[in-house]
Amino acid sequence: MGAVCILAPVVIAAWPAFSSAVIAAASSLGYQVVAEAVEVAAPEEQRETTTSVQLEIERSEVVTNSLGRDQRISVSREGITVTFSRDLRGKASLCVTGEGFAKEELKALGEELSQAVVQQYVYQKLMDEMRSRGFVVVEEEQNEDRSIHMKIRHWEG
Amino acid sequence: MIMPHREFEITIEKDGHVEVHVKGYKGRACHDAVKFLEQVVGEVKSQRETSEFYEPEEHVQHRIDHRI
Repeated sequence: MGAVCILAPVVIAAWPAFSSAVIAAASSLGYQVVAEAVEVAAPEEQRETTTSVQLEIERSEVVTNSLGRDQRISVSREGITVTFSRDLRGKASLCVTGEGFAKEELKALGEELSQAVVQQYVYQKLMDEMRSRGFVVVEEEQNEDRSIHMKIRHWEG
Repeated sequence: MIMPHREFEITIEKDGHVEVHVKGYKGRACHDAVKFLEQVVGEVKSQRETSEFYEPEEHVQHRIDHRI
């Protein structure tokens, strides 16, 4: 009834909305926020056993403020630290570092977390827009495959 | 009295892709609902209309008879 459509997400967010999605996604996967800063931190000296992988979130744009200052947020879990920031082209990027991990392992963990960030961003944006239009959530569940299923309804009259 | 309602049944996959079943919208109103989703989520990858889409849009008329 009506229509069925599939949409590919595009993340266009100001920093507060983006970092809010990072925090929600990180906590759902057991990460904890270790730092959120405006200033660019000097990279720490890395040990030889520390591996790092740089990834970016496709179809993303982090809108910066007029000063264009760099912002970043770091989360960590079991020796892995993931730092999200805005790259020079305005895309959301993440750097995954961990001691004693192979690059492939870090890449997989980074992709898992970045997908969760996109999912949380879409969830929060949809909820905000739907609620502002008078829709009410009548059903919501998180499935085992980590997809979120919900029914949102608006009564006429 | 049961009021008509409009409903979005939404699945957000773990990578952020979204599948939406739009219910209670017909014709042009259905197009507008999909357009709204496109603005909120992103690019429409696929879309198919269901039988409800082709039903005529509802026009409700009220007639009040005053009899003295």
